[in-house]
Amino acid sequence: MDPPSLINEGSFPSANASAYSLDGIWPFPLNSGGGVSESGGDLGLRRSPLGQNSGGFAETTRTRIRNRDVSVDESTVTENSGRKRIDAASEDESSKLVSTNSGNDLNVCNGKRIKLSGSRDKNGGLKAEMESSLSAGNKPADQSTQPSEPPKQDYIHVRARRGQATDSHSLAERVILLNPQPITSQNLNKFCILVGTVVAQARREKISERMKLLQDLVPNCNKVIGKSLVLDEIINYIQSLQRQVEFLSMKLEAVNSRMNPGIEGFPLKDFGAQTFTAGMTFSSQATREYGQGSPPEWLHMQVGGGFERAA
Amino acid sequence: MAVHRLSLNPSSYKTRFTQRFLRALMKINKNKNRSSTSSSFQEIRRGRRRIKIAADGSMASAVGSKRAWSRAMLYKLRTRTRHQAWVRKISTAAKRKRDVGNKPEEELSRTDDLRRLVPGGEAMDFCSLLEETAHYIKCLTTQAHVMQSIADFYST
Repeated sequence: MDPPSLINEGSFPSANASAYSLDGIWPFPLNSGGGVSESGGDLGLRRSPLGQNSGGFAETTRTRIRNRDVSVDESTVTENSGRKRIDAASEDESSKLVSTNSGNDLNVCNGKRIKLSGSRDKNGGLKAEMESSLSAGNKPADQSTQPSEPPKQDYIHVRARRGQATDSHSLAERVILLNPQPITSQNLNKFCILVGTVVAQARREKISERMKLLQDLVPNCNKVIGKSLVLDEIINYIQSLQRQVEFLSMKLEAVNSRMNPGIEGFPLKDFGAQTFTAGMTFSSQATREYGQGSPPEWLHMQVGGGFERAA
Repeated sequence: MAVHRLSLNPSSYKTRFTQRFLRALMKINKNKNRSSTSSSFQEIRRGRRRIKIAADGSMASAVGSKRAWSRAMLYKLRTRTRHQAWVRKISTAAKRKRDVGNKPEEELSRTDDLRRLVPGGEAMDFCSLLEETAHYIKCLTTQAHVMQSIADFYST
């Protein structure tokens, strides 16, 4: 039967990863989890509608390997040069698609998949999530395509299961994986829109990551949920800090006017000892709204401490 | 006390800020000694403003030009008269850019407030604004610490 033979000769990553030698290029391991092999199985199932001539199929696998390497190189390039290249590269690939036959259509779709997941991985290793969404998304697709297997399909309705990620990125991945369509301008439009939503999703993920960092930094933000409330807390905190600095400058000015001659030798070695006791009494006055319990948390925040991982 | 001496990082923001701020304080002190020390309200206000400028300036220069907010603050301090016109120009441009974006109404006002608070926040997109905010908060807390300890040291 065709599909098993396709899978066997297809040299999928779980079978022989050495055939690709993608270890240096691909950001995450190819054979981790069952996600990739299942997606490979799904691809095998879907290949039969495309490559009706099994004779020509051997060539397509070989060209697929070559195309895949090339597109993985493209993926590293796009990783390095930012997200704007995605649109340009998608246009490149569309021209490549137009020139090649439909047998290679799947190959370049593979390349697109690689590129998308590569760009997403740049956002902090969401590999596990992607693979789980891939594997979860492929399970219903397996069941749906196995009995029916229509030779011609314009659309595959991507149904999201309960608890699955319905965000644009996983949807885009699923649509692209399940839907190797012939290239028309309409499909190209759809693909560009998908890429746009993927880029927007990546941006949103970056924003939420930074909001989480801010929540860790501001003392009372852990209990608040919701972007606007967190922003409110942050604004209040910054305002209180600025007021505190102003108050302290007023105090220093008073000190200055009193102690004119003696400001030379500030003993920096006493610095650490003083901040603890003095700071606690003062900060509880000035920042009453943050609760008497939380001031000590501020004081123990070291400068070089938690933020460097994002800088 | 010896334990605390070991925990001093010579190149951290805290020590850099402390050194610069103390130098600025000494300079202000010398100027004040030379001129007459009048106790009118205006003099006091001007003196307070001078110390606040010294604090902000030394903090920004301790951070350096690696951060957008420190660059913006240094620029603001150096060109204080021309700054208002510049801010107005940048804020209108940023407002136009933001109208094209997709923020709902109530969030827009809050991000506006945040932009006003963080120096240089008018001309940044939301994502880098958040990053700058985090760094700015961190530096503000160290600034508050240091000034507090200085005030306490000299008032006792």
